[in-house]
Amino acid sequence: MSPLLVVDRLAVDYRANGRTVRALDGADLEVAAGETVGIVGESGSGKSTLGAAIGRLLPRTARVDGGVIRVAGESLFELAPADLRRVRRERLGFVFQDPIASLDPTMRVGRQLTLVLGRGTGSGDVAAHLDRVKLDARTARSYPHELSGGMAQRVAIAMAMAGEPELLVADEPTAALDSQVREEVLDVVFSLAATTGTGIIWLSHDLAAVARRCSRVAVMYGGRVVEQGPAAEVLGRPAHPYTAALAGSAPATAARGTRLEPVPGRPPMLTGPSDGCSFAPRCAFVIDRCAHERPPAVRVGDQDVLCHRAGEPATIGQGATT
Amino acid sequence: MRRPLDLLSKGGLGCLLALVAFALGSTVDLAGDPDAIVGPRLAPPGPEWWMGTDNLGRSMLPRVMEGVGTTLLLSCTAVLLTAAVSAAFGILAGYRGGYLNEVVLRLVEVLYSFPAIVLAVLVAAVLGPGQFAALASIVLVTIPLMTRLVRAAAVGVSQRDYVTAAVISGARLPRILGRHVLPNVAGTIAVQGTYALSVGISVEGGLSFLGFGVQPPQASLGVLIRQGGSYMIAAPWLIIGPGTVLVVAILAINVFGDGLRDRLEPRETRSLT
Amino acid sequence: MRLALWWSGRALSSAATLLGVSILIFAAVRMMPGGFAETILGPFATPEQKAELAARYGLDQPVFMQYWHWLTAVAGGDLGTSMISREPVSLELLARLPVTAELTILSVAAAILLGVPLGVLTAVRARPDGGAAVGRLLSGLGVSVPEFVLGSLAVFLFSRYALGLSVGGYVPVTVDPAANLRSMVLPAAVLSIFAISATARTTRDAVLGVLVEPYVTAAVARGESPWFIITRHILRNAAAPVVTLTATITAYLLGGALVVEYVFNLPGIGSYVVQAVGRRDYAVVQAGVLLAAAVFIVMNVLVDLMVGTLDPRLGVTAKGRRA
Repeated sequence: MSPLLVVDRLAVDYRANGRTVRALDGADLEVAAGETVGIVGESGSGKSTLGAAIGRLLPRTARVDGGVIRVAGESLFELAPADLRRVRRERLGFVFQDPIASLDPTMRVGRQLTLVLGRGTGSGDVAAHLDRVKLDARTARSYPHELSGGMAQRVAIAMAMAGEPELLVADEPTAALDSQVREEVLDVVFSLAATTGTGIIWLSHDLAAVARRCSRVAVMYGGRVVEQGPAAEVLGRPAHPYTAALAGSAPATAARGTRLEPVPGRPPMLTGPSDGCSFAPRCAFVIDRCAHERPPAVRVGDQDVLCHRAGEPATIGQGATT
Repeated sequence: MRRPLDLLSKGGLGCLLALVAFALGSTVDLAGDPDAIVGPRLAPPGPEWWMGTDNLGRSMLPRVMEGVGTTLLLSCTAVLLTAAVSAAFGILAGYRGGYLNEVVLRLVEVLYSFPAIVLAVLVAAVLGPGQFAALASIVLVTIPLMTRLVRAAAVGVSQRDYVTAAVISGARLPRILGRHVLPNVAGTIAVQGTYALSVGISVEGGLSFLGFGVQPPQASLGVLIRQGGSYMIAAPWLIIGPGTVLVVAILAINVFGDGLRDRLEPRETRSLT
Repeated sequence: MRLALWWSGRALSSAATLLGVSILIFAAVRMMPGGFAETILGPFATPEQKAELAARYGLDQPVFMQYWHWLTAVAGGDLGTSMISREPVSLELLARLPVTAELTILSVAAAILLGVPLGVLTAVRARPDGGAAVGRLLSGLGVSVPEFVLGSLAVFLFSRYALGLSVGGYVPVTVDPAANLRSMVLPAAVLSIFAISATARTTRDAVLGVLVEPYVTAAVARGESPWFIITRHILRNAAAPVVTLTATITAYLLGGALVVEYVFNLPGIGSYVVQAVGRRDYAVVQAGVLLAAAVFIVMNVLVDLMVGTLDPRLGVTAKGRRA
């Protein structure tokens, strides 16, 4: 059976003011039906672009420079507008970072849910859908600005899950929330998705948090997925030096609000296709070919890794202590 | 960081400069004396008089050149006055806030309540028709919007760190306003200045057209269109010539202003599909 | 409750503005050549009339008392007497009101019915590159052609080539509605060009601002159609600046009506005021100006009322009116 989502060698550029920034530089990803996948990366790694691309939601300044996305076998970039809308409606759901801004400020929550349910794809009434995300039926009478961030995100989740999509893409859904509320919101997402059989792509910068809830993890760097595999393996036995650094930096102990910087140096700002490995300048295990030879995907254990030195046992242990 | 102006805005600027050169031509009587009678009355445009002749047989070309000059000079002077007044009160009100801010906003609100041409007519009624009335009208009409926007920009700038730093380091008020606030609201003043210029040209034209602005024998675009109105059916070139020049001037300034604004505040768009 | 508080604040602020306007006009009238008594009574007033006026307005009293008397008179509908017709100005204005009102209402209707769809369409279709320049030039042209130029051209074209619409020759709607409309179409068209373009530009800006909001992206992500997103989400969220503009536009149109009525020789308040300035009939000028400003202020209050119902956040975040 073919996977629900296939992202193959996807390259995306942003063009603004005559400058080009490469956000995705040949990203690969596969997600099977019902699977929960965490995509981890620093800001600028391209994970948000990948998330938006999965719904063909890229801003107008973005240009797809090659690659394919297939949702249930349909090639997203070749679809006519009406078919694209059908795929978004029937197969995909999205939850965004800023929950309150994701809701129409001029409309009561209940009315917005009714608009989503009105097409007949969902079942049950507004109260039932609010109950699914553990919200009181009275919430329907509120305007978005009257809700807390956590409540607003639950409403957004209820709207995204109303059509029981096959895949839910959540782009840092808890980034704007207080830490106590985060786990509750995640509980709602994951338990609801489990009952409807919906697969999840959770974009986050917190490797440990993602590994706790997702069955698989994909690590992004410089516009590529540099390592993907079972969550426990990626966290416990990272095969890419960058993943090793991420896993070793124990983000769970980092204070909220501090910038995650597991490795010295800054993430790259690509302006075009990169020849080598874009992590090379920050990598402790860099060798000559890293700079000018694009690393191919290598199978190490259960993981797919983009690294010339993957599989050399010495690199991994030391990487984790960097 | 700065984007270059797009082609359309450059075209607008080019057009404007061409008009200024055109107007300067009249100071040396490049196309002849605007008051000299050179041919038959109401002659259509021809090789000797490119824009035709008026009811007295004067060639329209030098008259339009003089008219553009009068209109531009009057509008530019007025806008400079507006910019000075608006910058002073807008910055002070935005930076100081409080009582002064309230008073300035209230005054601006009062002036803003009059439709432009209505305010101009009132000014003309008080001052008597003439150039001075046109000048004062343009200033009063353009002050509210510019003051308001300069004030809003100054409020934003006043909260920036470099202004706080200057205050802490003991800089005096004139220095803070002149060195730190003014340069950062200059963009707003420039953009609003271009728009004010187009409003000014339009107000001068309208007021002179009604007979309350610039008075003949001096020519301005509004005066020429007013005079042409009486012979419109027989000699439409009397209004088409100056009318076209007037529209081109306003359009060029507006397009240039849009370009300036877009450069200061670039914006994203999103597709609905 | 908070909304009510916000409301009373707005009402108070409008009253203060109106007061400021009245002071300005009072001052202007006193500065007009000929002075106050002549402005109100005209130059042919008898000494008895002047004495009566002096007593009524208290011309021997301090300025602020004079202002107070003037204000109470104006508030009571006494706008003075026309020097030319010797009739109360309020009656003169009332007789000419239908022409100006019809012209303005037709133009505002055209601005909303044509400008809003045009603005939405150009915003939704907007691309960072390509054809945008043409649209910018066209909408720029619309706001760049003054009424007196367009009006003069229209008068020339339609009277020279008999294009079917009558030029001048106003027919009251009570006499012949069809003929009335024929006589008003051209002036209204000339007057509305600016309003349509300005509405389209403001709508476009507002819609462009809403398009990048996350809730629009969320609606796109849910697979909603462009039409659905525009009608359910964008129009209402983009409405506030457009509704606010309508007040400004109405005021602008009252000014434009002055020019258009003059060009097309329509017997409205505008052309009456223009004549009055020429004849130094200052009581009429004063009343006309006061009326225009009052309409603008009242329009603004109405607009705030509408904006308040459009955006439930108002009164909570004190997100003000025109920035």
